[in-house]
Amino acid sequence: MDSSGVGVEPSWRPSPVALVALITGLVVTALLAVTTAVLYDRNEDRLLGLRAKELGLLFTAAVVPKQTEMASAAALADATGGSVPRFRALIQSQVGPKGQFASASLWRLGGTHPAPVTIIGSAPQITSAQAKELFARAAHSHSLTVKGLLQASEPSIAYALTTTSGRRGFLVYGETRLPVNRRSKLESNTAFSDLDYAIYLGRTTQTPNLLVTSLQDLPVDGRRASSSVPLGDRALTLVVTPRGSLGGTFFRILPWIVVAFGLALSIVAAILADRLARRRERAEELAGSLDRARGEIEQMYTEQRSIAQTLQHALLPETLPEVRGLKVSARYVAASSGVEVGGDWYDVVAAGEHRALLVIGDVSGHGLRAATTMASLRHATLAYAAHDARPSVILSRLSEYVNGSSHDYFATVLCALIDVEAHRLTVASAGHLPPLLLQDGSAIFVEMAPSAPIGVAGESHYSETDISVAAHTTLVAFTDGLVERRGEVIDTGLARLQGAAAGNGESLEDLIAKLPQELASDGHHDDTAIVGIQWQN
Amino acid sequence: MAELENQAVELRIDRSGDGAAPTVALSGELDSSNVPQLQTAVAAILAEHPQRVVFDLSGLRFMDSAGISVLVKLAGEIETVQIRDPSPIVRRVIEITGLTDILQVGP
Repeated sequence: MDSSGVGVEPSWRPSPVALVALITGLVVTALLAVTTAVLYDRNEDRLLGLRAKELGLLFTAAVVPKQTEMASAAALADATGGSVPRFRALIQSQVGPKGQFASASLWRLGGTHPAPVTIIGSAPQITSAQAKELFARAAHSHSLTVKGLLQASEPSIAYALTTTSGRRGFLVYGETRLPVNRRSKLESNTAFSDLDYAIYLGRTTQTPNLLVTSLQDLPVDGRRASSSVPLGDRALTLVVTPRGSLGGTFFRILPWIVVAFGLALSIVAAILADRLARRRERAEELAGSLDRARGEIEQMYTEQRSIAQTLQHALLPETLPEVRGLKVSARYVAASSGVEVGGDWYDVVAAGEHRALLVIGDVSGHGLRAATTMASLRHATLAYAAHDARPSVILSRLSEYVNGSSHDYFATVLCALIDVEAHRLTVASAGHLPPLLLQDGSAIFVEMAPSAPIGVAGESHYSETDISVAAHTTLVAFTDGLVERRGEVIDTGLARLQGAAAGNGESLEDLIAKLPQELASDGHHDDTAIVGIQWQN
Repeated sequence: MAELENQAVELRIDRSGDGAAPTVALSGELDSSNVPQLQTAVAAILAEHPQRVVFDLSGLRFMDSAGISVLVKLAGEIETVQIRDPSPIVRRVIEITGLTDILQVGP
């Protein structure tokens, strides 16, 4: 086998609609994710700012008691002239592991070298030079004065306060210790356990001024907020950074959730769009093949209709006889729609030298059965006419013939015997519509006693009507297709025919061609046969 | 393709009343496209061997030769076929075809 003929499966390619759906989905997802992330970021900043402020307030609240204690002690020292017992009694409870200070002392000002009057707790870490500088500031400010003793063996913050205005007086001094490595953790059960912090003395965040921190590495980077609180004549600056997410873990991962859902939705949307597009494609293909099928059916219908018409014409006389002194014209018009052959027929035959017989008939129903019945009736009629051309006799024979066997149809038949020389007309009808006589510009129907159609049980007698006609008279016989319209009494159709046929000088040929065209309604349902016979003089 | 679409005809057969003739009420339009419906109904009625069948045509707007032929055939098989209340259109078709006596057209 030659494999080169085997087609390669076309690689799968997404439809444009699916691509658009995917790209739109991804863009929307990205926008949503970025928006969520930005909102999260802003919220975290805001929360952190609030926490830093809160923490600052807490620090302020913690500092105030120190100031009050020292102010009270300074006032007492002034009032008591530096009474050591009174000072100790006041400040004792504030010193120690549970107190405000690690070391507290009372100093007398004014000497060359400042010297403590009494010391409570551990020995002050401040050097003489540092004390001199601090005390000078304190005497000048009259409020709490602060100094960081950060290089000392026990890093401390020193506080000094004096109320003395003169050169001589007393100064209260206290120290609080800092952790040696400056590292400390806030207790885990506090409201700030989710924050890392660094506290600096002063308003800047330079590492030499660091008092204490919970962090390994400084300076603090990433998201951070700071807040400064006054501490005597200096300030504490607090820098905080969140350990995790302040607004909750859900909001931190929300952008990623959005991305995940968005991706999934985009892919699903793309797949659905692709399927829909393919289904539509298939529907369009199907519609196309339906159109083709419709075209084929229409073609078949046309073919069948043409076959029916061919058959119909085959059943009708090919040529009409030449009868001297008469002009004959006939037409068969098939229904405007339908594929069935009809049961209408006509014949004109010579009956002797100066006579002609016109037969026109209509077998009830349509289709092949009606057509074959018509053919047999037509031939039977011609056979009877050969024996006896009197119309009433022909119809009686025909009736006997049909009623002689089982049948389920009937036929209306009109026979007209035309005497060319005598200008006479003998007509008999078996339920058929009356023929029209055109003479001297007027059109009148031949008046006949009605008799039942051929094939109706019990009917075998038909009456004849004899008429004398003028020269150049035209006889028009027809089947009901010419005049019948749905929703209309048949007399209306007959009157219409009368109007169309009367008073025209046109040739017989033209008249017989014109009448079916003029009278046919749109979509006429029935076949029509029409025969015209004209006396030439 | 009008011929491919059947015209609508409605058939209602009334056998009420003891000894009364079966009545077939026809409405709509009766032509060759739907005449088998009438043929089936008539065959069912014939199986009961009635002497008389009444056709109520008050609702029938149109009847062509195929429809008439069913009535004519029935008229040949039973004693009486009566037509009741045909519309002027249907009445004239019956008259002009010379079937008024055979089909006993009533008011």
